[in-house]
Amino acid sequence: MNTKTVYSVGQSLLLLLFVAQFATAQNVVIRNATVLSITNGTLENTDVLIAGGIITEIGTDIRAPRGTQEVDATGKFLMPGIVDAHSHIALSSINEGSSPVTAEVSMEDVVNPYHLGIYRALAGGVTTSHTMHGSANVIGGQNETIKHRWGVTDPDDLRFDGAPRTIKFALGENPTRTHGRRASGGTGAIVPSTRMGVEQVLRSSFENGKRYMEAWDDYHLKVATDSRAIPPVYNGRLEVMADIIRGNILVHCHSYRADEILMLTRVLADYGVRNITFQHANEAFKVAPELAAFGAHASVFSDWWSYKFEVYYSTSYNAAILMRNGIVTSINSDSGELNRHLFHEAGKSQRYGGLTDDEALSMITINPAIQLGIQDRVGSIEIGKDGDVVIFDSHPLSVYAIPEMTFVEGKKYFDRFEDADDMRMEVSPTAEIGMYEGQITGRDRFNHDGEIINFFELFGQETTLNFEDN
Amino acid sequence: MFHTFHRCRTYLTLLASALLILAATPFDALAQKDSPDIPTVSNVVAIQGVRIIQAPGRVIESGTVVFRDGVIEAVGRRVDIPYDASVIDGSDLSVYAGFIDALTNVGVPEPKQQTGAPPSVPDRSNPTFERAGITPEKDVRVLLDPSDKSVGAHRKIGFTTVHTVPYGRMLPGMTAIALLTGDDAASMIYSDATATMFKFQGARGVYPGTPMAIMAKFRQLYKEADRRNHLESMYREDPVGMVRPPYDPVHSAFIPVIEGDQRVFAFTDDALEIHRALNLKEELGIDMVLTGLSAGFDAIDRISETAVPVALTLGVPEKPKWAAKIKKDSLDQILGSYTDDTRTATFRDVEAERRNLEAKQLISRARYLGMPAAYEEAGIAFAFTSYGVKTSEIRSNLREFIEGGLSEDAALAALTTNAADLLGLSASMGTVEEGKIANLIVTAGDLFDKETKIKFVFVDGHKYEIKSPSKSDDKDKDKDEDERRDKDR
Repeated sequence: MNTKTVYSVGQSLLLLLFVAQFATAQNVVIRNATVLSITNGTLENTDVLIAGGIITEIGTDIRAPRGTQEVDATGKFLMPGIVDAHSHIALSSINEGSSPVTAEVSMEDVVNPYHLGIYRALAGGVTTSHTMHGSANVIGGQNETIKHRWGVTDPDDLRFDGAPRTIKFALGENPTRTHGRRASGGTGAIVPSTRMGVEQVLRSSFENGKRYMEAWDDYHLKVATDSRAIPPVYNGRLEVMADIIRGNILVHCHSYRADEILMLTRVLADYGVRNITFQHANEAFKVAPELAAFGAHASVFSDWWSYKFEVYYSTSYNAAILMRNGIVTSINSDSGELNRHLFHEAGKSQRYGGLTDDEALSMITINPAIQLGIQDRVGSIEIGKDGDVVIFDSHPLSVYAIPEMTFVEGKKYFDRFEDADDMRMEVSPTAEIGMYEGQITGRDRFNHDGEIINFFELFGQETTLNFEDN
Repeated sequence: MFHTFHRCRTYLTLLASALLILAATPFDALAQKDSPDIPTVSNVVAIQGVRIIQAPGRVIESGTVVFRDGVIEAVGRRVDIPYDASVIDGSDLSVYAGFIDALTNVGVPEPKQQTGAPPSVPDRSNPTFERAGITPEKDVRVLLDPSDKSVGAHRKIGFTTVHTVPYGRMLPGMTAIALLTGDDAASMIYSDATATMFKFQGARGVYPGTPMAIMAKFRQLYKEADRRNHLESMYREDPVGMVRPPYDPVHSAFIPVIEGDQRVFAFTDDALEIHRALNLKEELGIDMVLTGLSAGFDAIDRISETAVPVALTLGVPEKPKWAAKIKKDSLDQILGSYTDDTRTATFRDVEAERRNLEAKQLISRARYLGMPAAYEEAGIAFAFTSYGVKTSEIRSNLREFIEGGLSEDAALAALTTNAADLLGLSASMGTVEEGKIANLIVTAGDLFDKETKIKFVFVDGHKYEIKSPSKSDDKDKDKDEDERRDKDR
């Protein structure tokens, strides 16, 4: 037995172990596709093997293990599953709008796997969503990164294991309108009612978080030698602020204007926080060099603005300008409708900014993955990455492109040819049927049997505040 | 010592409330109770020649049940009837153990519903505990009222024991076991507060309003109470030179939970709430019971794995409006027409989609009605809870569950033996056996039959003759005159 054989036997054993470990996961080989790898160019007539949920081979005429599902993708395009860096699908509640700071709440606690938005996202080739707290509060809740494993019922089964913690911040009109106006929600006006107030809320939260962190650090030192040391008051909200300062949580901040964007970078710098992605950031192009110098990221719309005063100064060139300035830039949906055509949105930014195909597609794949800290797992087609891929009938940047099949970890969750009219996991036994008609368009995003709690409805008054998206 | 001091405060409050109740009770009632006079009616009852369902699946076709002073003295085929017994002829009658409700508001007068916008607060991010629906210190024992109409209504359909809790939101208060008999609150109480209740019901207009904030607030209260518990034990050990630990009744009420002396009865309606509550249980190490399960079919596996005790709801979803007037046969036909592979051009044939959706809605409803059966099949022993359910609908709902596949034995077990197990009452309740409390239902026919009338309910040996709500189908009108209690036994 020569060394080579030993090596290959060892390899097979390893592979066997590997496969056995993921016996439940599906193996699939996608043959003869045009593979848009994102990080390694375009590969013509290429096979991709996904075993045990992981991409294990990219090449031609791959020999697949017995029992592997074969998919012929001749003439089709295979790209990594789209990553949506800003979404509110699959949640039972979105805004805890009762307080300008609610760092302690977490979307992880209210993930709703029954939400049809997951399936719709799959139909648009999206396999990972960053599902976020709304923008009612200066410091909203912690967000959750999910994989679209449609069909599971335990919320934890949607979790993107190992994804870093992230938190939602919001600047400008939404928090000032929510909290700073008299009688909004049956209470007096509280800080913030201006952009100055927003900064004040941020600074005092960070300052309190810092003191809290120091008080506990101090206690842990003391208690080692003095069993009668007094632990400081527990505060879940400040625990999270302290974790942000420690660098354990990535900040994703809803923002529009250049001045407020710069303001936040200064506040963060004062507390040594570097992990920041500006969400929406319609005026980020004005301060692109400053953001690049700070190391900030941006996640923007391709061409959506003018829905309120602070969003009038906008341009379709935003994404391209940011990218050309060396900023990691993504295009997000913030919508259960728009997420079905993020590839079109990337295409628009390409059209206006003159980006290359790979640059345009990176804005909906590897770049959002970087912003969420999951770039080692998803965002490109590479050996060792998760088998999250989508097959398009034509090039995804074409206006004619249609996603045909979407795989998460090698398991097919969407197939255009097996797509019945009604893919809901459940319907309410009591609801008016008419209520479901609103779901036809997908424009109403949070329609899980009325289970979704719109915080402002709790005030018993009609509200025009709808900050989930913009 | 520190701890005791707090306990004292609680007891003082209790005592004061008890005194208030006593003051409100007419004196003749009390006098009557303590009267040394010879009773006019015997306190020994024998039900003779009756079919005895001792426990689910354990039946004596014809026997006698004798109880004295509220305790069952003898059960069997051949039982000597004591000379002083008042005898009930049990031919054509059946006797069952009285029902036990695993969680309910019965016995607590319902507070007036708030309408419109809730009152304004200075700062909605920081409301009072009361406004936030956080009142775990509230003790149901001082709220009980035996004359509340819920008591008679519940008793009339066979409930003799309730695990009852104050009305409220996120943390409504501490529970107690109460018997549905007695002249005053104190005499209803069977045992102490053994649990606290937790719901995913947010405060209106203030923090915490959403399920995510409720989860966060629960952790906050628990962890801070844990810290205070630690401080209090340090203070008890040696208070010299130590700053007095902070006190408030809310955090203090959490301490028995942390110490493992009190269970948390979480109200979890559907699979999402079940998972959320179990996540809290596992994360914080809480002794938890899940109650109110309605759409819990998708969480059966996790419930089996965690072996968490459960009480399913006695409520069923209302029929959808469109189906209200359609006959059962036609509904079954609609249900059968469902296909999971409709392919219509929505804009052309909305009607076809609507029809399929209606069928899907009936399937959904069937899953709710079949849920107790699914739990039985999964081998999960469950109790029933009437929390949030109209008492008048309970008997017909039970029949719906049985039609949905639940065995009658399992239904009876859920209402008697399993509920007794869940609440730690098995030694004294749940079966018709010697030594147990005389909590009994006497029926003319099988308990769950539509036509069966309940003739008597005995609670702690007190006889309640059920006049004519009779057929279980009749909607309960809560007429107290329908029911007459034999005051002196």
